[in-house]
Amino acid sequence: MPSPEDASKFDSKQVFTTGEAAEICKLSQQTIIRCFDTGRLQGFRVPGSRFRRIPREGLLRFMRENGIPFDRLDGGKRRVLVVDDDQEIIDLFVDVFSRDNRLDVKTALTGYDAGVITEQFKPDLMILDYMLPDINGNVVCKTVRENSELRGMMIIIVSGVVNQDEIEGLLEAGADEFIKKPFNIDQLLKRVHAMLEL
Amino acid sequence: MSTVTTEPAQARRIELILRQIDSLPTLPAIATKLLTLTASDDTNAREVIELVSSDQTLTAKVLSMCRRADRGVRDNTMTIDKAVVLLGFNAIRNAALSIKVFELFDNPDTGSQNVASGKFGDDGVIHANYKFDRENFWRHSLAVGIAAELIAAAHPNLSDLPAAEAFVCGLMHDVGKIALDYVLPKSYSRVIELAELNQSNISVFERKVMGIDHHTAGKRLSEQWLLPYWIQDCIWLHGSDYETLPQLGHRRIIGLVTLADLLVRLNHIGYSGNFVFRHDIDNMALELGLIPKVVHKITRQLHEELQQRSEVLGLNDQPSRELFLQSIQQANVALGQLNSALERRTNTAARQSRVLETVSTFHKQATPGRTVQDVLDAVVKSVSSVLGTGYCAMLYQPGDITAGDDMVWLVSQYNDQGGLIRTEFVEPPSYSPDLANLSGDQTLSMSLMSVLPWIADHLIESEDPRKLHLLPLNGGWGTVAVMVHDRVSLPPPNQMEALTFSWGSAIAAAAQHEGVRRLGEDLAQANRALADVNRALAETQEKLTQTQSLARLGEMAGGAAHEMNNPLAVISGRAQLLTRTLSPGSKEQVASQTIVDQSHRLSDFISAMRMFASPPVAKRRSTDLAVMLDAVVKNVKSSLRAPESRTPISLQFKTGLSPVVIDPDQIGQAVTELIINAIQASPKTAVHVTAQIDPLKSNLIVQVTDDGKGMDEYTHSHALDPFFSAKPAGRQMGMGLTRVQHFAAAHNGKIDLRSSPKTGTVATLTIPLDSAG
Repeated sequence: MPSPEDASKFDSKQVFTTGEAAEICKLSQQTIIRCFDTGRLQGFRVPGSRFRRIPREGLLRFMRENGIPFDRLDGGKRRVLVVDDDQEIIDLFVDVFSRDNRLDVKTALTGYDAGVITEQFKPDLMILDYMLPDINGNVVCKTVRENSELRGMMIIIVSGVVNQDEIEGLLEAGADEFIKKPFNIDQLLKRVHAMLEL
Repeated sequence: MSTVTTEPAQARRIELILRQIDSLPTLPAIATKLLTLTASDDTNAREVIELVSSDQTLTAKVLSMCRRADRGVRDNTMTIDKAVVLLGFNAIRNAALSIKVFELFDNPDTGSQNVASGKFGDDGVIHANYKFDRENFWRHSLAVGIAAELIAAAHPNLSDLPAAEAFVCGLMHDVGKIALDYVLPKSYSRVIELAELNQSNISVFERKVMGIDHHTAGKRLSEQWLLPYWIQDCIWLHGSDYETLPQLGHRRIIGLVTLADLLVRLNHIGYSGNFVFRHDIDNMALELGLIPKVVHKITRQLHEELQQRSEVLGLNDQPSRELFLQSIQQANVALGQLNSALERRTNTAARQSRVLETVSTFHKQATPGRTVQDVLDAVVKSVSSVLGTGYCAMLYQPGDITAGDDMVWLVSQYNDQGGLIRTEFVEPPSYSPDLANLSGDQTLSMSLMSVLPWIADHLIESEDPRKLHLLPLNGGWGTVAVMVHDRVSLPPPNQMEALTFSWGSAIAAAAQHEGVRRLGEDLAQANRALADVNRALAETQEKLTQTQSLARLGEMAGGAAHEMNNPLAVISGRAQLLTRTLSPGSKEQVASQTIVDQSHRLSDFISAMRMFASPPVAKRRSTDLAVMLDAVVKNVKSSLRAPESRTPISLQFKTGLSPVVIDPDQIGQAVTELIINAIQASPKTAVHVTAQIDPLKSNLIVQVTDDGKGMDEYTHSHALDPFFSAKPAGRQMGMGLTRVQHFAAAHNGKIDLRSSPKTGTVATLTIPLDSAG
């Protein structure tokens, strides 16, 4: 098991060297370089030099595709952002998710906050209330999907009102899942784990 | 050249009908006179006697009627004198009046066929089977009169219900029908046909086909006939709900006529064209302050009384033509006498200058309350007397015939003697000036210059259009009409001004009066139409109210769903977390789980309520029924707990179940609800589910049958009501069948329940397959 310090040193890193990538993936640096050169691991070379650099996004995809455990990156934690204007609902989600130490949870009360937090937190999953005070869920979905950096992010829409047409509209706008309030926690966790490949 | 409208707009058509009614033969002078005499006391007896005696035919008929009406009077040598003494003059008056009114309309050929077939563009089909049956109409009218009379006589304590008046009101109440039939016989045949086919109230179709009902037509006719106002109102307002009648002194008599009318129709006497029995005799009687028992009792007398009186009136055998002609002659003589008296008075009154005399004569003729056409005619008469004989025409622009219509001018042309030759509504060319806006100061010919050739085209009766002059008639606030004439010399300008102003003002006043009158009639008619609509609404009121309140409830639930489901999510979520921490199987854990279950139940309930606001829409797609129903039955079985899960569910397909185009989710849920209901009825053996497609391949029919406890009548009649449950209140939310109904309705289908206690229930879901729903 890596010590917490070991894990945390990669927490905020966005770009990795081949050596760091080898350490995270528990592979030899040679293997990493070979994968980089054959294109299986996406990255770039530092301009004016031959140093290989691997952005976080590319590394994550590589690890996911090859079934490499995430625990050396972010302590293996998946980031979840809960967006709801009801503090009680937020507290409930936080309570549910924080019991799972593989999840890192942040919250937002408005669509605006959600946008700001998403930029830096880069969540793997967003739990999104459909009816926010400042913006509707489908707009958030569209905005997220138009941003190539957030391509891998999953979105679960939660709403107290179920309207089949609206649900279809949301799925079209890019939502991955729709869950009606009130919900069954076990089923919710099952879906979340499946989506985050935990 | 603009064309004369052959298919006049509704409003114009009504206007023409009203004009036709206004030109109907007047009530014989004797009858009018008789009517005015009744209002006062017995000092008029002498006059009644004289009036009736002056008419031989009438005398004979009246005496015959009196003899038959009162068995005590058997003296064949009786005179009117004696009859009045014996029976009181009200009885004589009534007898005379019915005879006169009958005579007026008795000849079925008097209707102006040309109006019906030509000008108004009737469909030309003669509805021979639906001819207005005058004989039976009169039998109905007479019976209503007699019934009203008998009821009034049986309540002598009610001073506002004099029996004699009641008779006249009853006799005359439907006179508007005969007026409409008289004016437009073919249209009226159509009305009768429609009323009979629909078994509905004839006045609804009168308004639909002719634009005017017999109430309004009758009111016009009664004004024309100068009938006393209480008879006018009976004709106008009979049939209205009593509580809607204005607080008139004769309100009760109007109600009485309505009651008598119903009584007669219930006894199937004569023909009224109304097939609607919406009142209840007892209630109506009580409303009027009458004794229901007494009212019922008079029914027995009614037939006998009717038999006697109708014989005298020749209702049972056609009256001889000779007799009819004779009575017409008599009536004309009487009318002539009245007219000459009037003329004498006019002559003695007019001793002023020629102009003043003209004005005075004119004003005598143009009494208020006349139509614009009457006043126009009077103006021309007046013109002839002051300017000498010659051609004359009037251009009049009705102000309010139909708002938004194109401009229409009423063009009336007169012969040299001032007699009306023809009158027609004409659409002037688009460049014509608005007559109303012509200023009296302007030279009229300047404004009308461009229209002159067109006017000349229309004035085909004039010998030489080049000689025509235009004379504007001002009514205080502009030109109300333009006179076209061929006189060369006119009186001096100051006199001429007085004359034109006098004529113009009269036309303006008539136009205003007509507008007001039409407005009042339109209002009353609209009111009646509204009352009919209300009644139709009332019939479905219960359902409507229910649907509306449910829809409102649904809307509320929709709005509330968001607000309620958030707290429910918190309640449910917290309880779920709590359940995990409590020791499995403990009382606390069970209680915690109950909180979870109940909060979800409440949420489901809110969703079900929302369906009323936004009913589900079927998303049809090709579906393998066998697969779908198999899955439904499996799901139901797995969701049930013991002992209910032990009930066998058999699934049976009739042959030839090809894929069907339905919404599998909705139909699946509907069948699920039906199966659960069947299981909850505790069937003795099993629940059977059968599915088949009817031979025409137009319907999918799913039946769910149980041999459980079945439903009693009360439960059965409420089974489809939302929130209804046969179980004790609070046990079950009772939305299951409502959901089934919604899903069936989304497919344009339906759910039927057949059930009887102890034998079980058959629920049949019918889903049309060829429907676009």
